[in-house]
Amino acid sequence: MSIGWADIGAGALRAALLFALGGIVAAAFAARYRDVRGLRSARWCALVAFALVVLADAAMIGALVTHDFRLAYVAGNNARETPLFYSVISLWAALEGSILLWTLVLAGATTFVAWRGTRALPRLATTALGILFAMLAFFLLLVTTPAADPFVASPFVPENGRGPNPLLQNNPLMALHPPLLYLGYVLFSVPFAYAIASLILGEGGDRWLVATRRYALVSWALLGSGIVAGAWWSYAVLGWGGYWAWDPVENAAIMPWLTATAYLHSVMVEEKRRLLRTWNLALVIATFALTILGTFLTRSGIVNSVHAFSLSAIGPLLLGYLVAILVVSCGLMLWRSRELADGGSLGAPLSREAIFLFQNVLFVAATVTVLLGTLYPLIAEALGGVQLSIGAPYFDRVQVPIGLALLFLMGVGPQLPWHGASRATLERQFAAPALAAAAGAALALGSGMRGAAPVLTYALAAFVAATVVQEVVRGVRARRVLHGEPAAHALAALFRRSGRRYGGYVVHLGIALIAVAIAASQAGAVEVERTLSPGGAMQVGQHEIRLDALSEVQEPQRRRVIADLWVAGPGGETRLSPSFAFYPNATQPVGSPGISAGPADDVYAILAAYDARGKAWATIRVRVIPLVSWLWVGGLVIGVGAVIAALPPPRRREVHLPAIAAEAAAGAE
Amino acid sequence: MRRSRATGSDGRGAQGIGERRLVALAALALAIAIGFIAVQSLAGSAVYYLTPTEAKERGLAAGQTARLGGQVEAGTLRYEPTTRDLRFVIGDGVSRVLVIGTGAPPGLLREGAGAVVEGAFAADGVFRATQVIAKHDEVYEAPPPGATPSRR
Repeated sequence: MSIGWADIGAGALRAALLFALGGIVAAAFAARYRDVRGLRSARWCALVAFALVVLADAAMIGALVTHDFRLAYVAGNNARETPLFYSVISLWAALEGSILLWTLVLAGATTFVAWRGTRALPRLATTALGILFAMLAFFLLLVTTPAADPFVASPFVPENGRGPNPLLQNNPLMALHPPLLYLGYVLFSVPFAYAIASLILGEGGDRWLVATRRYALVSWALLGSGIVAGAWWSYAVLGWGGYWAWDPVENAAIMPWLTATAYLHSVMVEEKRRLLRTWNLALVIATFALTILGTFLTRSGIVNSVHAFSLSAIGPLLLGYLVAILVVSCGLMLWRSRELADGGSLGAPLSREAIFLFQNVLFVAATVTVLLGTLYPLIAEALGGVQLSIGAPYFDRVQVPIGLALLFLMGVGPQLPWHGASRATLERQFAAPALAAAAGAALALGSGMRGAAPVLTYALAAFVAATVVQEVVRGVRARRVLHGEPAAHALAALFRRSGRRYGGYVVHLGIALIAVAIAASQAGAVEVERTLSPGGAMQVGQHEIRLDALSEVQEPQRRRVIADLWVAGPGGETRLSPSFAFYPNATQPVGSPGISAGPADDVYAILAAYDARGKAWATIRVRVIPLVSWLWVGGLVIGVGAVIAALPPPRRREVHLPAIAAEAAAGAE
Repeated sequence: MRRSRATGSDGRGAQGIGERRLVALAALALAIAIGFIAVQSLAGSAVYYLTPTEAKERGLAAGQTARLGGQVEAGTLRYEPTTRDLRFVIGDGVSRVLVIGTGAPPGLLREGAGAVVEGAFAADGVFRATQVIAKHDEVYEAPPPGATPSRR
């Protein structure tokens, strides 16, 4: 019998588990005895384990691409007709494969910390490395137990597999969204491991925090991009004309992002003012625990979700892991509580640190209320024996005011100095932004927006944008005066040298853009549903939509029924083809919307029903959704801002000395 | 970076302490306000998930929003394209409820397949749906007869 993909993958994972366990011992030894040989062993353990997990992931991709239905995972998620691209990304199409991908990212992060992280702060980093090895060992244990073993053999080898979930082979965004989320989730393990290491070693300072700032930022950015990509996927694929439904899976992704956002800001308070130490530790622990909770909620089948994975025995294991993390973290924090005392106390209400505190309270409140809404059905069932669901109205009612308050603080915070602001400072900082806010509100009312929330959103977004522009203009002006640089050069230097600050402002701009896109698309969408015969037309807003034909197409892996639509509007003419796809192994068809995206609005057409016998009619639902494209653009802007903020500033070379010397010489003359 | 370690009380006296207290109180007030809104909205947004049998046993009041989950019974799904009148019978193997809604059924809605309808009973015992959701998950299987809708 020849060696198959399953043997390679399963063998590699079991060997990797041994190296991860070895890594724990080596890292613990190296940290305890400050032993270089221990560290060297730990590094090699990490690298070998990583290589083995890469091999296992490659074996799974190999099995998927060659349609090796001897593997239960391949038989369940792949078919002979599945295109190569979708075969490859089926690696993360279902539970076992996604845990395999998770393990890969974790092994990569562990290896990176082992080789790079331990160069600075060796003792702290080595201790953190031991914790990362322990997490890696847990996930390797998971993928080698029957509960989530991706390489389990099929009970029988079918002639053809079931194929991937039709919803997952409809759009290339599927290639992007899950890996981004997993990268974000898993990278946050690094700040968590350092935080725990710092508690174990009894370090009172903020060294762990400074060392992992960039990991936290990158993790946050990837998680955010993953969420936006997921919203985009939901919009482009699910055919309901929306992008966010407060589904448990979405909530699971947004909660750690919220606490991570709070953390990225409160970190600055600790760095500048030596405050909020316990709070920052708690935020890191909460964020990490929420990533695991999210995985537990979505992988255990415990909550009811449109796209939850099916019921799995992996649930109790993940729950045990979560409980262990919380018990250990809280125990360590209690044990070290004396070392965590703050080096001062909070200043005036109109100081930057006070705004950060309010902002943190809001972010945590947002997280807690989302968590409450997500878990309430479980609590109600456990305590009252009733089954209920918490719909979007709850989330909207609570999160919209929080979001608006956060938008306001996003404009206020960066404009206030640390310690406190004088009246003159306030006037100087807020005169122009206040005018911009009024203009924003006028624009909203002028473009037909009604209701307090959307108008306020426009006003606050304009307020935020104005503060950012004001900061950048002042920065450029200061550099022009100080260094005599031309404006463009000064702008580039600003972003290059103070990337963290100005990258942060770019992120703020992206958030303001997303806020406007959400307000406009939620408040301004128009929907019309009509049954048309071929040749019939309907009017939605300023767009005319005509059904030209209803046709049927046979493709290799599916049969499609397509409504051929002609759309005319202010932006010109276009054609849309919303469709139903029938997959041989799925009992139900999958609808795909036809979307014509534009800067002013999207025309979103859905084939809602059609005459299967004579193709004599089709019910077409059309939504005209203003500004929704700017949501994805906003996501991109946030990504760019995060990159600017994460790039290390240039080394302080002596380049300025001649300039200063020349100035001094000029002054002496 | 400034190396000052302003502790609020040094040099600023009572005013500094008052300001600090103000910040803490404001943060607390913020948290309480949000908690209040959350609890208020939670009670109002809870929608019960019931099988047709449970709905009948509970004697759900007319007009009370609920979600019914079950199977679309074979031979009952009717959609009238011109009036966009949608009706079908949802059952759990024991009880059956007639559901009437407006608008095209979701693409995944099929006879024999699982569905969840949100709406309320009218006085005549007919369930007026405001939203029809076909159940679709990773594994395309209809729930077994008698299963409660949120279990999979």
